[in-house]
Amino acid sequence: MTEDARRALDTAKLLAARYRAATDRPYLASALYALTVVASAEVPTMGVDRHWRCYVSPAFVDATPVPELAGVWTHEAAHLLRDHHGRADRLPAAAQRDPHRVNVAQDCEINDDLLADGLRLPEGRMEPRLFGLPEGGLFEAYVDLLPPHVRTPDCGSGAHGTPAPWELTGSAGPARLGGAEAQALRRQTAEAMRAHRRARGSLPAGWRRWADEVLEPTVDWRRALTGAVREAAAWAGGAVDYTYRRPSRRTPALRGVVLPSLRRPLPRVAVVVDTSGSMGDAELAAALGEVTGVLREVGIRGNRVTVLACDADVQAVSRVTSAEQITLGGGGGTDMRVGIAAALAARERPGVVVVLTDGLTPWPDERPPCRVIAALIGPGAPQPPDWVETVRVPA
Amino acid sequence: MDGGAGGVPEGRRGRRPRRRGGAAVLSTDRTAPTVVPGPLAAADELNRRLRTRRTEPAANPRLEALALAVTANQPVLLWGEPGIGKSAALEQLAAGLGLPLETVIASVHEPSDFAGLPVVGDDPAVTGVPMAPPDWAVRLARAGTGLLFFDELSSAPPAVQAALLRVVLERRVGSLVLPEPVRIVAAANPPSSAADGWHLSPPLANRFVHLEWTHDPRTVARGMAGTWPEAAVPVVDPGKVPGAVARARGAVSGFLTARPGLVHHIPGDAESRGRSWPSPRTWEMALTLLAAGYAAGAGREALAAALTGAVGDGAGIELLSYLEHLDLPDPDRVLADPDAFALPERGDRQLAFLIAVVAAVQSDLTRPRWEAGWAVLAKAVDAGVPDVAARAATDLAAMRRLDWPVPPGIDGFLDLLQMSGALPGAGR
Repeated sequence: MTEDARRALDTAKLLAARYRAATDRPYLASALYALTVVASAEVPTMGVDRHWRCYVSPAFVDATPVPELAGVWTHEAAHLLRDHHGRADRLPAAAQRDPHRVNVAQDCEINDDLLADGLRLPEGRMEPRLFGLPEGGLFEAYVDLLPPHVRTPDCGSGAHGTPAPWELTGSAGPARLGGAEAQALRRQTAEAMRAHRRARGSLPAGWRRWADEVLEPTVDWRRALTGAVREAAAWAGGAVDYTYRRPSRRTPALRGVVLPSLRRPLPRVAVVVDTSGSMGDAELAAALGEVTGVLREVGIRGNRVTVLACDADVQAVSRVTSAEQITLGGGGGTDMRVGIAAALAARERPGVVVVLTDGLTPWPDERPPCRVIAALIGPGAPQPPDWVETVRVPA
Repeated sequence: MDGGAGGVPEGRRGRRPRRRGGAAVLSTDRTAPTVVPGPLAAADELNRRLRTRRTEPAANPRLEALALAVTANQPVLLWGEPGIGKSAALEQLAAGLGLPLETVIASVHEPSDFAGLPVVGDDPAVTGVPMAPPDWAVRLARAGTGLLFFDELSSAPPAVQAALLRVVLERRVGSLVLPEPVRIVAAANPPSSAADGWHLSPPLANRFVHLEWTHDPRTVARGMAGTWPEAAVPVVDPGKVPGAVARARGAVSGFLTARPGLVHHIPGDAESRGRSWPSPRTWEMALTLLAAGYAAGAGREALAAALTGAVGDGAGIELLSYLEHLDLPDPDRVLADPDAFALPERGDRQLAFLIAVVAAVQSDLTRPRWEAGWAVLAKAVDAGVPDVAARAATDLAAMRRLDWPVPPGIDGFLDLLQMSGALPGAGR
């Protein structure tokens, strides 16, 4: 044990720094005060674990001025508020193997916002610009772009998810927050940020994005689109009924009774693709791939799926069998009414019509006799009528 | 029923002794045949050895949440990937609650199995075809209680699902009504994972408590070494029932009064509509779960999982925050007797409590109440959280009338305020 390690923790200075951090940014007060202090000589500076316990090195407190300590307090609370340990657990295994690198990426995610917000941080802080990375990103994007073997003072398992040697284990020690309580605290903090923004109008962009995501999580468009198609297919194919045309396979067991068997018609699905060309090839192919993939999964394939390429200029609708056959024209107006009408005019009427479009199109005046799902590709697409189930695909 | 060997000629039946009624009687004085150890005996011994497992007591909020929902007799839907031990958890739970477990694999049945099975009499044209309930339903009805588990619900054809859900929601199998104490749990694969993943229609989804079932790699690794966790199942304490019901009613009703927007809210996307979301029906479920949780002394995490499983993540978490606030000491009562209260353990709740105390002093400003406020803050300083109290102290100090003496407790904050830069120099 060194002389530094035996030194007592200067609690007054440490808590004065927390007080300052909480008064400067009142929306973070609940999160900052939820941290429980544990003095530890082994932690390099300050670190947190999953249970919102904050491990503090006495030597670091002595050597750091209060304004910078306040910045470190905010930094550690940000690791936990942004659920860095939970997100680190979901990283691919290869990225998880180097906790230091994950920690650096997480510090980059936090610090560019803190510095932009005018907070002071000690020397040796990590920022995206040190590695030539753009600001305002998430650590999942940074972690693969960092050089190998980068190091930073360890922020503990509350950040990178790997337990550190100085951390208390089990239920021993001071107050701990459970997962649900931490989630409640995150929501509370996000609400406080919104209230602060309404009252004062100033909130760093990073925190604003975070609060929006906590209160109204964005659903991945792939899940939304496949979910909508799956639900519509189940609805259209839900017409299950008994039929006596083919008796049940259980009939031979019962003398003199004829049991009906079940018949489940599979729905037909038409996919109408807008080729007016104001949208990207990649997004279109991705959306089409998701739709056909989920249809294959629910057993709708072959001649039950029709893909129509709709080109408003020539008012022509052509059947295609693969995404490669779709050629995006340039510019021009779009009229998806033509495509929907063509889909419904087929000899076997589809139960579900999926439209892939940039949304700059007129829609039929009245509701067609089938479910309509629209994947609106690209930003700024106008909202279709209410009877269209809409999934927005960001370009 | 007799062996049912309708077409077996008499001569093939051998010379077994027969009783009236047709069942063969086995003489009871015969000892069990001695098994000659075959080539597989050692292998069987090895398997037996692997099957013996040690258990250690461990907190398992997920299992506790499931036990809570089952105790509260709400229909539960477990969402989880195939093969992560949903059935094993149900066995553990049934053993813990002392219930017989009936597992029905949904995907191998037909809808008619749940509408009753036709039984043929001698002459169907005369006697008709009675519809008999399947044996598992009869066993449950006879026992009067039990745990009914529908596994692989999402792999069954939609018509079977529809028939099954009728069992779950109406508790009827054909013409047989399942007794009230029978608990029902169903399991399904999430739509995003398996090819036969499954979308519930919103009205159906809204009738279940949805619980996510995931595995913990560390637990599995420890289990392979021979030790599995065994969670204690929460049991309702009969003495706590009246108080728990009143407390839960007050909490949910108060919360919905404060947040009327959360009474009913359908999510925007299909994926979320097929899960839990707040509606008057699910709030009713949440109320039952909360009352059962209070009466059984369930853990916070388990209660959180059960409540969010009923009314959805957002509404459930907000309800939990509200409940935490309800647990804070009443500021007016504390100001009346500042020596007899316990400071909350967590800093953020201490802050909420102290802010409430300051607001209470401000709303009715008298000298005794103001001085009681300082006494409360002094307690927070003694507890080692002067920075939490400092915010309240500055507000309290600003309320001082000129003729009131400066309270002694204020010195405890001066150092801290100076260090943090909130006070210039050595202010007095």
